[in-house]
Amino acid sequence: MPIKLSGEFEVRKTPDEVYEFLTDPAKFAPLLPDFESITVEDASHFVVRVKLGVSHIKGTAAVKMELAQAERPSRAQYKGQGAIAGGHFSLVAAFDLLAAVGGTKVNWQGEAQIFGRLISLAGGLVEPLAKKNIKKLIDALQGALT
Amino acid sequence: MEPKNWVGKPLPRKEENRLLRGRGKFADDIKMREMLYLRFVRSPYAHARLLHLKLSSAEALSGVICTLSGREIEPLTQPFIEIGPEPCAKIRDYPLAIDKVRYQGEPVAAIVAESPQIADDAAELVEVEYDPLEPVLDAEQALSDGSILHESAGTNRVWNGIFEYGDLESAFRDAAYVVTIDRMHFHRFSSTPLENNVVIAQWDSKDDHLYYSCNNSFPSFAIQFLAAHLQLHIDKIRVQTADIGGSFGIKITNYPQMAVCALASKKAGGRPIKWVETRSEHMTSSAHGNERTFRDTRVALDKDGVITAISSRHIDDCGAYPRYEPLGCVIWSQVLPGVYRVKNLRIDFTQAVTNKCPVGPNRGYSRMQHLWFLERVTDICAHQLGIAPDQMRLRNYIRPEEFPYTTPNGCVYDSGNYPRMLALAKDLLDWDSWTKKRHEARSQGRWVGMGVGTTLDSGTNNFGQSQIVNPDAPFSGNSQGANCKLDIYGEVVVAVGSCPQGQGHETTAAQVVADVLNISPELVSVRTGFDTERNVHTGFSGTYASQFAVSGLSAVHGAAQKLRAEMRRLAAFVLKTNEDDVEFGAGPQGPELRAKSTGQAISYWGLANIVNVNSALLPPELHDITLNCRFVWRAPFKVPDKQKKFGNLTLTYAAQLHAAVVEIERDTFVPRILAYVAVDDCGMVINPPIVEGQVYGATAHGIGAALMENCVYDAAGNMLTSTFSDYTPITALNMPRIQYGHIETPSPHSYSGAKGMGEGGAAPLHTISAALQDALSGEGIVIADSFNNGDTLFRAIVGKQIYQAAHIVSLERRS
Repeated sequence: MPIKLSGEFEVRKTPDEVYEFLTDPAKFAPLLPDFESITVEDASHFVVRVKLGVSHIKGTAAVKMELAQAERPSRAQYKGQGAIAGGHFSLVAAFDLLAAVGGTKVNWQGEAQIFGRLISLAGGLVEPLAKKNIKKLIDALQGALT
Repeated sequence: MEPKNWVGKPLPRKEENRLLRGRGKFADDIKMREMLYLRFVRSPYAHARLLHLKLSSAEALSGVICTLSGREIEPLTQPFIEIGPEPCAKIRDYPLAIDKVRYQGEPVAAIVAESPQIADDAAELVEVEYDPLEPVLDAEQALSDGSILHESAGTNRVWNGIFEYGDLESAFRDAAYVVTIDRMHFHRFSSTPLENNVVIAQWDSKDDHLYYSCNNSFPSFAIQFLAAHLQLHIDKIRVQTADIGGSFGIKITNYPQMAVCALASKKAGGRPIKWVETRSEHMTSSAHGNERTFRDTRVALDKDGVITAISSRHIDDCGAYPRYEPLGCVIWSQVLPGVYRVKNLRIDFTQAVTNKCPVGPNRGYSRMQHLWFLERVTDICAHQLGIAPDQMRLRNYIRPEEFPYTTPNGCVYDSGNYPRMLALAKDLLDWDSWTKKRHEARSQGRWVGMGVGTTLDSGTNNFGQSQIVNPDAPFSGNSQGANCKLDIYGEVVVAVGSCPQGQGHETTAAQVVADVLNISPELVSVRTGFDTERNVHTGFSGTYASQFAVSGLSAVHGAAQKLRAEMRRLAAFVLKTNEDDVEFGAGPQGPELRAKSTGQAISYWGLANIVNVNSALLPPELHDITLNCRFVWRAPFKVPDKQKKFGNLTLTYAAQLHAAVVEIERDTFVPRILAYVAVDDCGMVINPPIVEGQVYGATAHGIGAALMENCVYDAAGNMLTSTFSDYTPITALNMPRIQYGHIETPSPHSYSGAKGMGEGGAAPLHTISAALQDALSGEGIVIADSFNNGDTLFRAIVGKQIYQAAHIVSLERRS
């Protein structure tokens, strides 16, 4: 079952500045929770290594990310896939940017889906973990853009 | 020594001594020099394109010998044989995924290493890139072909056929009542043998032979598939089984893993390869039982509640690959009318693939789904018409005097007495007393119900039914082989083409031979397990489909009789008398043959000595005597009429009648069994404790399936019950006390009057559904699913989400 989350926040930077930040893997990727490293392959593809753990299943995941939609200065969407012990996961993160008084309103939508035995073993823990990590990412984004 | 009838005696099992002391020899007990260990890398996705597979990191790990991928084996092999005609025949089934995965747990690569631990570590290093596709998890949805699993077939439909008999139009026209049931569903579960699948394969380059030690339960079938797949002469494949820790049919379909192990051995230079399946692998990717949905059911009844016609549409979910299917599309028709006299039937049967684990034969294979359907139909009609369900059954049962009974599709029910079984079950349960208690309980607001399930265990099937599915299928009839010999030292040795998994074949075969030779069963050695090189097997050999008591023991009986005739002839020559004068018995030195007229005797050793190592004593006219007698028993079947789907599909019909009292707790909605009775009729019983044990085992499986065991998938195709923690198989702690009873209606189709048994017809599923129906009839609920636990009953009773009678059932009363 996909885990879907969405929300919005406002920052003082312009849509162009926010877009610039979001579409730069070197700036965006380190905000991911438990970030370890990044390898940029080309302008729209990069691999992020992050630490992941669900209950006793812990490890490092290499997440292949693709900047799937880049519409300056209004929209950026990432798609990613990765694997950890017992499962694969896919994610989609989209940001719609609207000019607002004194800055930019960011509407974000996230969708993650886990496949594999991990769901059977720790399915009940995955959703709270995903929500916690997405909150961390949004908080970090807000901090970086403020 | 006076002749004794060992058949029918409650002898302890010969196998018990080693199995209960932990001295059984199972496939995983086998260790071989230079053995390597195989681990599968499996798909986490239910449906995805396989974009990229990188094995180099795994191959670089110290201790890894080699890897295998689908792309690598594709040019080395042929796709597995598909039993069904097109579109099924167009499916290309390989044991490792090539460009697409079709169920979670499908193998995409194999790692071969010096130890299981290294293979595990290496498997984690394999990088696989997938492109997820929309999974198809419901068979009805699959038939819309919105997302197709096998592009080569072009459709998710595997097979469709209409089984129509009698005159439905008249029956519905003349009916006093017509009951319509919109949808019912038989859930997906497995039988979880104690021992998972195990394969040891060695492709020996010295003789180009392939050697297996494994726990496949139908090896003569497996080698036919493997020979074609591996492009190897079938006589070059040797399969041996030893003790097997349960199969229940599930281990028939482990031949894909056998193929991978063979190819891995070849790549590893002929070193033996062992693969031991984990429990989670078994749960996600071994085989499950068939899931089936019943739609648009219409039932015609006369004024007395006698069912005169049934029309329905059945959709079977066979998972991602048909494999042993679509045989299940016809096997259910062995019991087309169940235990009832209904003559007019129309079943539109379709099978579809879905992104779930492939199905395989599972204790009660294909028949139990249909029998559950018929029992639900009978029960629902009884409730609709206000007839007590036990009385409803009595009005509809095939009557004892009607046996042998020919069903509308030409099957011949050999014998039976269902009313007597019902009477015995009611007596054992104390039906009248429970009826009063139920009344009292209901007055206190408790949900207490009583149910009956009557079912059949059809055994020794006619493989000609495969031609109903595929007119070009090269199978018909059924046979089993056995060998009975006096070895050089005069020991009686029996070998059979079966591969027992706890059914006591060593004991019952010894009982049969002991009767023929008039010796004690202790003097009969029965070889354990299956071995192609014993050369006793036929193309049908294995252990499945409730048939050993008929096919296996008939073969043993035939071989023993041949041996007896040779021994008698030889003894007559040695003792200088005629054959009529020779009797079998025991002397001071053991078993012997004696001339009644002179009292002179010759021991078994003496006879064996002459034939085997002292043969110059034999005159030419006795040179045909070998004291090593193979007999092949063949079932008296004909090829069914493929167009009319008509013919005798099974030789014997054991019956089970279970009765139960259940209560659904009002606080938790958990159903609990208050009383349970199992009455069995498998014809003349060969060994009562073995039969009783199998009744308990089948009952446990059925109760587990009815209340606890369910293969649950989420919307993405993740199997959520891939461990025993989630699947919760039944254990001794969950078992209610079972009261066992039996009657014997001898089968005219077996030499001993016995019928095959052991599958139990899934009687508890029918019975518990019926009892729950009775408990909840006042709540406006129809039990329309075979799986019922606290959660489903809560959703039905409180949530009003499922089972609501108004949505499922309607009754049309005609004047």
